[in-house]
Amino acid sequence: MSILNVSHIQRFSTGDGPGIRTTVFLKGCNLHCPWCHNPENIRADREELFYEKTGKRIPYGTMLAPASAAADVLEDKEFYIRSGGGVTVSGGEPMLQSEGVAELAAILRENGVNVLIDTAGCVPWSSFEAVLPFVSDFYFDVKAGSPAKYRELIGGEMALIENNLRKLVLVGANVTARIPLIPGVNDSETELRQIGAVISSAGVRHADILPFHRLGSAKYEAMGLDYGFKNTLPPSRDEILKAAGILGAYTDVGIE
Amino acid sequence: MFHMGIVSGLKSEMESKPEGVFFPDLLRCRGYEASGETANVNARADGIAAIFELSEPHIYKNDLIAGSIRDAFFNVTAADEDAARVWKAKYPERSFPTNFDHYAPDYRAAVNEGIPGLIARIEESLDKPKRSPLSVSLLLAMKRTLTALMNRLENYAKKARALMGTEGYNDDRLSFIAYNCDALAKGAPESFAQGLQLVFMIHNCFVLEGRYAMALGRIDQYLYPLYKKDTGSGLFTDAFCEELLANAFLKICEFRYRGCDDVVNIAIGGVDENGKSAVNELSYCVLHAVRDVNLPGPNLSARILPDCPDVFLDECLKVIGTGLGYPALMNDEVNIAALLRKGYDIKDVRDYCMVGCIENFIAGKQPPWSDGRFDPIKYLEALLRDTPPDELDAIGSMDDLMEIYEEKLELGTAEYIGNMRHSAFVKDPENMMSPFLSCFCEDCIGRGLDINMGGAKYPSAHGAALMGIGTVSDSLAAIEKLVFADKKVKLSELANALRSNFDGYEDLRELCLGAPKYGNNDNFVDKYAVWYTSTLSDMFDSYRTLDGGPVYTIMASNISNIAAGKELGATPDGRLAGRPLSDAASPTYGCDTRGVTSTLLSASKPDYTRCACGTVLNQKFSPSVFKDGKREKLASLIRVYFSRGGQEIQINSTSREVLKDARIHPENYQSLVVRVSGFSALYVTLSDDVQEDILARTQHEDI
Repeated sequence: MSILNVSHIQRFSTGDGPGIRTTVFLKGCNLHCPWCHNPENIRADREELFYEKTGKRIPYGTMLAPASAAADVLEDKEFYIRSGGGVTVSGGEPMLQSEGVAELAAILRENGVNVLIDTAGCVPWSSFEAVLPFVSDFYFDVKAGSPAKYRELIGGEMALIENNLRKLVLVGANVTARIPLIPGVNDSETELRQIGAVISSAGVRHADILPFHRLGSAKYEAMGLDYGFKNTLPPSRDEILKAAGILGAYTDVGIE
Repeated sequence: MFHMGIVSGLKSEMESKPEGVFFPDLLRCRGYEASGETANVNARADGIAAIFELSEPHIYKNDLIAGSIRDAFFNVTAADEDAARVWKAKYPERSFPTNFDHYAPDYRAAVNEGIPGLIARIEESLDKPKRSPLSVSLLLAMKRTLTALMNRLENYAKKARALMGTEGYNDDRLSFIAYNCDALAKGAPESFAQGLQLVFMIHNCFVLEGRYAMALGRIDQYLYPLYKKDTGSGLFTDAFCEELLANAFLKICEFRYRGCDDVVNIAIGGVDENGKSAVNELSYCVLHAVRDVNLPGPNLSARILPDCPDVFLDECLKVIGTGLGYPALMNDEVNIAALLRKGYDIKDVRDYCMVGCIENFIAGKQPPWSDGRFDPIKYLEALLRDTPPDELDAIGSMDDLMEIYEEKLELGTAEYIGNMRHSAFVKDPENMMSPFLSCFCEDCIGRGLDINMGGAKYPSAHGAALMGIGTVSDSLAAIEKLVFADKKVKLSELANALRSNFDGYEDLRELCLGAPKYGNNDNFVDKYAVWYTSTLSDMFDSYRTLDGGPVYTIMASNISNIAAGKELGATPDGRLAGRPLSDAASPTYGCDTRGVTSTLLSASKPDYTRCACGTVLNQKFSPSVFKDGKREKLASLIRVYFSRGGQEIQINSTSREVLKDARIHPENYQSLVVRVSGFSALYVTLSDDVQEDILARTQHEDI
């Protein structure tokens, strides 16, 4: 019997997969992307965010049995079924809790509800094996195009990530690559071509560009942290379209 | 034949306000003065006729559909006002509580028969044996007003011809107007444009008479035969149809010269007389015309049913997504079931429309609408405030408390009905008849009776607007949880805390705020919303209006929740004294924290077939949800909500304007969520520059 470390549950998520979805954000991550927009999901410990502007304190982190989490999200089953939606498990890195995720996904699947996992993929393959009997849809982040950048900037092992991505496609999972477009980090033509190559060589058919935004800066403030990207401007429409053009040579591209 | 895009031209023409003030009474008084009539209703008709006939027609350069209230603006002297006052004392008018306006005229009959046809029926009715003198007077007065309407149409035709050759005017358009107005003075409309011209001119006349919130009703149904006839000819396009409609709808906005917007309800979609989807090509034209007008005034409602086409709902959402907030989406299944409970014929029920904001109405078959506000939380607050502590603590269970509260509510409804009937009472109805209005109500002509004196097929309905479903449910849940379940506080102590507005009881207030809240799909509290709806509807069901009609319940008090809250002390839900109550049928603002799906699951639990008048549930969504590829998520959300018995949903897109306003008044936008993939944040928590980012994204519709 495993337990899930749930950061929070977001209903009517419209950007996290097809149809009407509920996103279960799990707490704890093994990467440290400096632009992260969900800093409250990085540490595994329970945290409270304090928003000075509204005087509100919002806690993140609840230990939930997979069955309880399932009961919570199944309240919206009718919406999922009608819209072709389901439940997205995100984070943090949800695959760090693959046993609990597998239990949750098993219950949801039994109830006819689709499950999608949104992962950065830097976990042992065995973690994916744990969830694959119940999950076939994955959003898989490709954040950089070179092992050096992966290692230095975000603390990820690119070989492992690439390997997992390739294997997922090979076992027949429905994988969408998600590329956060971060100014000054991965938006150069070289970097984008490297990312495109990773995606196409893994056999991924579709990638979504997620343009950088700094909406998370209020969260950093509420956590008393300094956000290195607070002064970074979001990419312009033209820059986004240009990136889409470059990546379009490698795979089918959408903009989220 | 006509260049497209006259909407913008007309809009800019309408920007210049007329001189003087809206004062049709100046003309009305001339009518009274000149009238040789002895019977009140006939002198009254002369007064109305004078307004229609003596006003100088105003035709805009971009007009295709004529009719304007500009011709009733005058520079009025104090002497004019005094004179009008004297005449008004002699010929008083009804008002909202006495069934004056908020009415959907029988435009179907007018369009099918034309004004001459209605006059012919009046003459037939006059010929009936044993007509009472009162009926004869009324029928003659009705005829007089219709003749004045025909004269008005002729005056417009003359004016159009006189304007030909004038700089800035287009002779083709003027001759179009002249031709149509002339034709309508002689017979029934033969084309879509003539049908619309007739309807708009009648509407215009109601405004000149001093009425407000006169609905156009199911324009996509009663004008459809003429639309079909015209499209059959091959010359008539949807673009032209939309232009004609936009012309008429734009001029509804002339009302704002008087300082506020009119609320002219237009209902599209719904079912036909066999209960099948009635969405047609004209429904889309109306939708697009309202979008193009893009101003409040025409208040669009869409009747949605399970078998209405997905593309219709999608088109509605597109228009809502422009930031207009229209159409309001109505669940046809619930509304029809609700009206059937009131005993109307099924054929009439299927043809219902709305008046005012959302009030369900049997078009052209019942007297004008009236409503009032009922504030159930007031009785709970008074109960806790006025009951001695030992008596409060002697209440042993939630059931016992509910029994006492229900007794108070019984008393409250009796008091409400007493007041309602008192203010609806008209001492001298024979001297307050409405000859023009009665022409457009079945079956005033045949019966020879005024709309408010038995002429209408059905008696008047009254709406009791129930306020604060969220505040009441949350308060009862807090009492159950804190006093009876967890036994954290005695009822007398809670009453003390409320009396002192939680001053010195901050910890208790935290507990109250932490109790379950309506709108989170939690039965612990949602059961009280269910109870609220059925119990109060039961109570009001046992009463009748003065003429024997039903009392409907409503949950649509959009702004009176603020005023009601100001008069109320603190409540057990943790609300402080003077703060607003929850609005309409919505959960308490900011308390439905689990997301919109939970809100809708809660909001569809009460049995809204008990609320025959209608309910309003306000929801805001970011513009991203209205983009191609995302709208179907919103559509699914609505379909599920409706399939579970939700009655209405009014959707707003958080457009740039809303986001800008939220920066200026963050206190009004505490729950406004902005959302991108894998992320959401409360807008008001964001810093200025990040809010700027969102505004920038909104501009190219990315968020």
